[in-house]
Amino acid sequence: MARWLTALVLALTLLITGCAPTPPSPYEQVQQESTQRNAPPAVSREATQGSEFNRFFPPEGNGFERIYVQEKKGFAEAKLKKDGKELAMLAISDTISTPEAAAKFQNSTMQIAGYPAVEVGTTQTAILVANRYQVKVLSRDPSFTASDRREWIEKFDLAGLAQLAP
Amino acid sequence: MSEAIYKIVDQLPTGGITVMALKSLDFIIPGQWQNIVGFDNTIRHVTGETDPALIRQIGDRAVRLFNDKSQGYQRALWLYQTVDNTDALLGAAALANKVGEKISFLGFLDKMTPKPERAQAIDLSIKLIVEILAFCQINGIPGDSLGDFLRALADYSGESLMRMAALICFDGLIPLGPDFLLKCLGTLQSLQPNDLQENPTFKAISSVVPGGNPSGQLGFIIESFNAVQGWLNQFVSSHELTPQKVINSLQSFIELSKDNLDYLGAFLDMSTNYYYHTGVQTLARRLIERAVAEI
Repeated sequence: MARWLTALVLALTLLITGCAPTPPSPYEQVQQESTQRNAPPAVSREATQGSEFNRFFPPEGNGFERIYVQEKKGFAEAKLKKDGKELAMLAISDTISTPEAAAKFQNSTMQIAGYPAVEVGTTQTAILVANRYQVKVLSRDPSFTASDRREWIEKFDLAGLAQLAP
Repeated sequence: MSEAIYKIVDQLPTGGITVMALKSLDFIIPGQWQNIVGFDNTIRHVTGETDPALIRQIGDRAVRLFNDKSQGYQRALWLYQTVDNTDALLGAAALANKVGEKISFLGFLDKMTPKPERAQAIDLSIKLIVEILAFCQINGIPGDSLGDFLRALADYSGESLMRMAALICFDGLIPLGPDFLLKCLGTLQSLQPNDLQENPTFKAISSVVPGGNPSGQLGFIIESFNAVQGWLNQFVSSHELTPQKVINSLQSFIELSKDNLDYLGAFLDMSTNYYYHTGVQTLARRLIERAVAEI
């Protein structure tokens, strides 16, 4: 009996230590928030259709290729390439779904083309147009610098985009 | 409800037959595919950002986007999953059909038989349709014209290009031979709408295949196949691909017996899930690219 019990205890110990819980993921909270009943959608119903943004992207030329890669409600994105090399991503998004994205411009002291601008991380430059649409250029190659990003933001039809805002 | 996207990406394997089989195709598109796994790791790789707070912010947005069903990302994942699951079903069907031949090929080849050519051709074309459907679920139809859409497809790189290379090699060249495109087209043209219903992959995804009814869906499949045929043909000829080259390279990664190469297609069907593996990598990349641009 004692031997049987020892075996059982040993087996249980193995089972327990073998199943030590993995540390919770930092994303568990957002996972829970965004999957519970009545969770707000990630993209607002009032968001502008991505197809509305296409015509405001910078034109191709001088060896630069612009390849549209995503077009979803509230978002459009194109890849910028030269000589087959991916240099940057160009994006327009509707901050109606992401108020915190718009809020980051409130304290900005920088301006590009007259719009409040911020640099995020080491690869991104963004402006907020008409207090609503975020235009971002993201470097994908080290040769594409912050000043290149600024230059490409100015190539968007920003005045046209501003008129889209309700 | 779908499983959490960060868990799915964290759980992608770093080794095993699927990863080895994909690595064996590196000779076709050198350096294009690295087996990037792990959610945060993928964020670092895609965005080039390293600040943990920023990575967390990007990850949070990506999780929210994935969980918003209206955005189509969950449906894309389901499409990728379904393709590989029904492949395993085909393997199980083959098992039921088992012929009593003596086969010694990695020990478990005796449990499978090669799919009939016709089934294989249908399977290949349906996988192509799934690729197009998943592309649309993940990316929308970017740009304003069909030309923009085809340019986006032609711009495939990294894990997406690797998925196409694997489709051509493992579901085209190996089971059907060098003229797999002709065989496939011939099969499609001889199909009756009812024949489609017998294919498990088609049955599983038929609710999302455009066309309205089986006959319209068959029309859509033939039209889509025709649209990408040129690209596939060009891929095969520009890389001078032959079944033998692919098999030779596979042999340097996975131990294969020369006597049983007929069964190689069945073996790959049953033992790999390259579509799901690279599909999850594509999905994660596009989600992250959107998240980082939106935050």
